[in-house]
Amino acid sequence: MEHTATYLGLIPLMPLIGAVVIGLMHMFTCTGRKIPEMVYSVLAVAGPVVSTLLALKTFFHLRAMPEEGRFLTQKVFTWFKVGELDVAMGFLADPLSVLMIVFVTFIGTLIHFYSIGYMAGDENYGKFFAYLNLFLGAMLILVLGDGPVVMFVGWEGVGLCSYLLISFYATDRDNVLAGNKAFIVNRIGDLGFVLGMSLLFWAIGSGGFDYLALRGNAADLAPGMGLAICLLLFVGATGKSAQIPLYVWLPDAMAGPTPVSALIHAATMVTAGVYMVARFSFLYAHAPLAGTVVAWVGILTALLAAVFGMFQKDIKKVLAYSTVSQLGYMFAGVGVAAYSAGIFHVFTHAFFKALLFLGAGSVICALHHQQDIWKMGGLKAKMPTTYWTMLIGCLALAGCPLLAGFFSKDEILYMALANGHTGVWLVGVIVAAMTAYYTFRMFFLVFHGAPRDQEAFSHAQESPKVMTIPLIILAVGAVFAGYLNLPAIFGGDQQVTHWLASSLVERHPHGSVGMEIFAIGASILAFGVGIYVAYKKFWLGAEEPEYTGFAKFAYNLFYVDQFYHAVLVRPYKAIGSTIQAVLEPYVTDGHVKISTILYQLLGRTFKVFQVGYVRIYALYMVIGLSLMSLFLSQTLN
Amino acid sequence: MLAELLFTVFALLAVVGALGLVLSRHPMNGAINLVMTMISLAGLYALLSAKLIFALQLIVYAGAIMSLILFIIMFLNIKKEDLPDERSRWGYYLGGAVIIAPVGMLMAKAVRRLPGSEATIVGDGFGGVKEVGLVLFREWLLPFEFVSILLLVALVGAVVLAGKRRSAK
Amino acid sequence: MIADYLILSIVLFCIGLLGVISRRNVFTVFMSIELMLNAANLAFVAFARLHESMDGHVLAMMVMAVAAAEAALALAVVILLHKHKSKLDTNVFSLLKG
Repeated sequence: MEHTATYLGLIPLMPLIGAVVIGLMHMFTCTGRKIPEMVYSVLAVAGPVVSTLLALKTFFHLRAMPEEGRFLTQKVFTWFKVGELDVAMGFLADPLSVLMIVFVTFIGTLIHFYSIGYMAGDENYGKFFAYLNLFLGAMLILVLGDGPVVMFVGWEGVGLCSYLLISFYATDRDNVLAGNKAFIVNRIGDLGFVLGMSLLFWAIGSGGFDYLALRGNAADLAPGMGLAICLLLFVGATGKSAQIPLYVWLPDAMAGPTPVSALIHAATMVTAGVYMVARFSFLYAHAPLAGTVVAWVGILTALLAAVFGMFQKDIKKVLAYSTVSQLGYMFAGVGVAAYSAGIFHVFTHAFFKALLFLGAGSVICALHHQQDIWKMGGLKAKMPTTYWTMLIGCLALAGCPLLAGFFSKDEILYMALANGHTGVWLVGVIVAAMTAYYTFRMFFLVFHGAPRDQEAFSHAQESPKVMTIPLIILAVGAVFAGYLNLPAIFGGDQQVTHWLASSLVERHPHGSVGMEIFAIGASILAFGVGIYVAYKKFWLGAEEPEYTGFAKFAYNLFYVDQFYHAVLVRPYKAIGSTIQAVLEPYVTDGHVKISTILYQLLGRTFKVFQVGYVRIYALYMVIGLSLMSLFLSQTLN
Repeated sequence: MLAELLFTVFALLAVVGALGLVLSRHPMNGAINLVMTMISLAGLYALLSAKLIFALQLIVYAGAIMSLILFIIMFLNIKKEDLPDERSRWGYYLGGAVIIAPVGMLMAKAVRRLPGSEATIVGDGFGGVKEVGLVLFREWLLPFEFVSILLLVALVGAVVLAGKRRSAK
Repeated sequence: MIADYLILSIVLFCIGLLGVISRRNVFTVFMSIELMLNAANLAFVAFARLHESMDGHVLAMMVMAVAAAEAALALAVVILLHKHKSKLDTNVFSLLKG
């Protein structure tokens, strides 16, 4: 059976070409006559649209293949060969990566269209789309890569694009600092990833360093080594996917334009960590302790972020913490060895989180870049499309039964319970209640009640079609995406789980039907409680409270940023200044200076002989002659 | 016998003249000393049967070159105040003598090892104009031409160097 | 016997060399150089007598011609230097210092 495909490489290549072309066009015209935005728009969406079509083609191609050996590969070129390490730039399309690229390209394309409206009039229009295309290309390389090294190329690429896009409004220093923070914190995680990758190569890499070969050789791995590798790789995931302790960059990343927050920090880049754990399921399946660590870190992050989200007043920060929280759920899913459930939550979350962010962007745009929810209110009347789509998104996020979020989140919680992680399940249910609460707190404050800022309210109007149509499309996805993995108890046949089965190493526990109904009931109860409390407090409109005590502590994010700054950043900077003040002048520069001083000394010594009197130079010649004749007269005898 | 006496006289005069040149303060005195050395050298050339060279030494060296030097010395109108301060020259003399001694020693040693440095009887035409001319215009024609070009260059150079500057640069 | 002439030539040469390095007056230096040239001439002629060939005489003539040219140019330079600084001290022209 033929496993090579020739078009896989085009999927990441199209957006990359677009990025280069748009980038060059912007670079050469940014100071002179500008190219009309329409040109940039067409070029910008061309790449993602082609990638989406190719992704769908790959999907159908794979579906036509039998379940055994359901994968396509393409080796574009050999990158480097060093000793036993033979890395090629190759792509692997198996069920897991195809699922990812389908929704990544689809949502990516929708957000490109949305950005045409959102970024209209910005003077760096071309630069934005260059970066956005570059991001899409890097993300596709990450997902389609056929080995850890190629994945790492994409991993770094999306980190770079995240930095570039967060600092997009670079005239404001805070934005640039936020970009720096994102990149640096990511880098810390990347160190763990590289260490894990190196250990992996050292242990079982000699038989080939791509996923198929590694999966085949995974049995040769010693348990301790496997545990170490899994934990180190997870460190990389905490950086990229904003888990404890490296989540601090994600809320600051909201300084970027809203489409960026939607695409990168909600739907795609931050899910790279979850994808990575699922991709290495053959390692995690043999190291259950690592899985437990992942699950607990995930669910505790979910709890922490939910607490923060309950008290935030910036609409994007609420959504950011909600993203961190949902990512925690995903990691809880893959941590308890329910890889398909975790990936399925990635899939559904992409839809409703992107929807929520784009809707928030619509609101922000309408109110002329007002982001404080305590200054909004009553927008239901003014922005109906945004209202209804956001409602769907909020319900999906909160886990409303029959919408997408319910099925995926519930699957994770049920799997946690069925695999024996009761603690994870309990915390998960509590967080579900909190999720519902803070989601609808935001919703009621923004769209219901009396407007708090009358002036901004009067200018507000519905966003243009190019922005609302993606909202509608995503809302449809948020409603119906859940049905793709309908569990048996509801009469479905878990299509996604079966689709992913050949990519993952997964056990499917059979809990009793009673356990499943209990879990579902608990989830619905959490949802109801959360909404009810939010309704009681915020339905009729409320004023901004003065936070005290625990609320104040939570509003200030438990002062974690300040703690990191005091304990990590300042000593590091102090070390840097010490090195600059002490080490460099004397040690590193000192050695170089010694040689220059020696040269100068040598020169000054010889300068003594250059008296400037020609007579003395003649004397030197005679002295030389004399010495030579002394020597020669010895030989003459 | 006479030859040796003449040689001794001429040699002494030459050395005295040379020492006088090196030791005297005013260049005029030195120039006169040098003239004396040159004339005694001419005598020595005659003793060596170098008739043409003897004549040329007197005409060119003692006659033309030394008179040119004397002319320039007198032209510059050197008074006692114009002379440089050379009180430290005695130290240089002593030091110089010490340094130059090995050089002289080496050359003396080389001379002593020369084979067959006794005088021989030479024919009548040795050193005469005709004989020197024959050698000059046969084997040494090319250097002769070059030397004439050299003299032309020196002539032009001297005019350019010491002549009046025409442009107001 | 020729050795005596050669020894004399060496003595004159060394005296000339002494004069070059120990005197500051430009004329004295120049005349010491002429003395050295003469010593060399004497050596040439002595060797010509020894080997009974005229080459030494021819070379002595060349040396004289070159010495004449050099004398002309050197004196022109001395005149220029005197015009420049009106001093006859070689130590005054020390721009090469350092």
